[in-house]
Amino acid sequence: MLCIKESEINNFLEKLKENYEVFDVRNDLLPFKQYFLPPEEKIFEKKKNKIKAALKPAPFVLFGLSFYDLEALNQLDEIMEKPVEDYFYFQRRNQSIVIGLIEEDIDSLPGGEIVFQKINNDYYRVWFKSKKEQQWLKKYRKFFEEIKNLEITPQKSQKIDDWHFEMRQLLLDPEKLAKAVEWSENHPIWDELAKTCLGCGICTYLCPLCYCFSWEDKKTIEGESYRVRKWAACTLNDFAMVAGGHNFRKELKKRYYNWFYHKFVRGYYEWGKSLCVGCGRCHQNCPAQIDILKVLKTILSDYEKSLSAKNS
Amino acid sequence: MRNLYLPKIVKIKAVEEQSPTVKLFRLENKFPKDKNGMVFIPGQFFLIGEMGYGEAPFGALSSPYEKKYLEFAIRKAGNVTNYLHNLQAGDTLEIRGPYGNGFPLDFMKEKDVVLVTGGCGIPPIASLIEYIIVHREHFGNVYLLYGAKTPDELLLKDRIERWKKSINVILTIDKPAFNWQGPVGFVSDLVKEIKINELDAVAAMCGPGPMMDALEKILKPLGISDRRIFVNMERKMQCGIGKCQHCTCGKNYVCLNGPVFTYDEIENAHD
Repeated sequence: MLCIKESEINNFLEKLKENYEVFDVRNDLLPFKQYFLPPEEKIFEKKKNKIKAALKPAPFVLFGLSFYDLEALNQLDEIMEKPVEDYFYFQRRNQSIVIGLIEEDIDSLPGGEIVFQKINNDYYRVWFKSKKEQQWLKKYRKFFEEIKNLEITPQKSQKIDDWHFEMRQLLLDPEKLAKAVEWSENHPIWDELAKTCLGCGICTYLCPLCYCFSWEDKKTIEGESYRVRKWAACTLNDFAMVAGGHNFRKELKKRYYNWFYHKFVRGYYEWGKSLCVGCGRCHQNCPAQIDILKVLKTILSDYEKSLSAKNS
Repeated sequence: MRNLYLPKIVKIKAVEEQSPTVKLFRLENKFPKDKNGMVFIPGQFFLIGEMGYGEAPFGALSSPYEKKYLEFAIRKAGNVTNYLHNLQAGDTLEIRGPYGNGFPLDFMKEKDVVLVTGGCGIPPIASLIEYIIVHREHFGNVYLLYGAKTPDELLLKDRIERWKKSINVILTIDKPAFNWQGPVGFVSDLVKEIKINELDAVAAMCGPGPMMDALEKILKPLGISDRRIFVNMERKMQCGIGKCQHCTCGKNYVCLNGPVFTYDEIENAHD
């Protein structure tokens, strides 16, 4: 089993810095998506009637993604790849090596290229995606050890807090979530949430699986023109507004419902999974303290009641 | 990896005023023909704009078989279209596409066709008519019902005269006008003028406001089922390739699964 000693991780990262830009995401407020889909990115530039696309970044390493984020990355890669590739996402993604740092019990790579999984007080087990990553790791072999019969002591998965536990339980049945959220369109909870929600969009900015974006064009006084891709939030007023001012989702209630609808209904039918990994960022950072778990539980319980009323 | 967001720069061949707010742009075509000899499928849209101003979606109105140029009718409505309206023949602009599904041409063949549109919703219908005229013997009775607020706002008048040789055209305006002898509004009386076999007919629609009226007062009484009413939808568009989420409509993406939907697909969908 390929392992790395906890005390060697920092040395390994220092060594990587000789060849790569290394970003440690563990203290980031914004989720990892910012490295592949930046909050604001100049994608085109036009000078003298010639359009130039943004160039790819230098190779970089993203270190320290959590288990939830690795799952989200895996899903985001798929979303950006199908049915056609998003050029600017993969231009960055293809230049990156993503290394996760987790304590959860896994039996395969949840996402990214390499994962360090804590298995006891001193050691992390090293998981990698393919031979390519194995070869790459060999370049840094002095930081790693091949160990047989290493003692494995259960780590974080046994200590998951109640909120995450419940959320992960709900996400195990995305079909039920999809049906319940679709059923809930006329549920009074959306009126209540529209009154509580400030429409600030923080939930969508912090969600590792919210990837809505808009173009914003700019022109300089020197005659250069740019197209910028910016994060958008489906809860914001102008999200579905067209030229001339007609707004296809004028009410916050509809936009807020649409956020859930994308995550649990459209996303599920498109990808077979909810567009939520239960990381908890949206509820931890919502200024109005909206708790996605509470909302889902209310909807699910009323949906189940409606089903049993129908069947009795 | 192809960069699908990269527009082509094309020359404007001609600009023609169509109404006080609408101009017709004839653009040099740089897109290839498909295996059927078409540059696009009627009903598909292109994103047209200019770096520094933005992009907006437009359905092409020229014949899909025309390989030298593409034509669009552009209404002055916002930043992008204001910029486009200042351009002249010889200037350039940016275009990418075609996007979306387009009308189900093969399904529509060998049937009677009722086309309903209003104001500047005519472009995709116009290109569908050009297609129908090329394959005229493969279609039954064809009717165009085209309405606008005032006679001035009826677009493509010269083409409509040409179409009248091949299909039936009924023009309406919303309010009576002194220079107007035709019908006013999509009124139920129009049903009497339309001769179709309701079991073997399809309808295609595109356009704003009066469309629901047309649906209730004309298409439903004609007996055309919701499954056979094809509606060309409008939504905010940004990426055009199913990523950005702006154009979503229930489980659908207007840019990928649309912009043409059957009426029963959209009737009850969350939008």
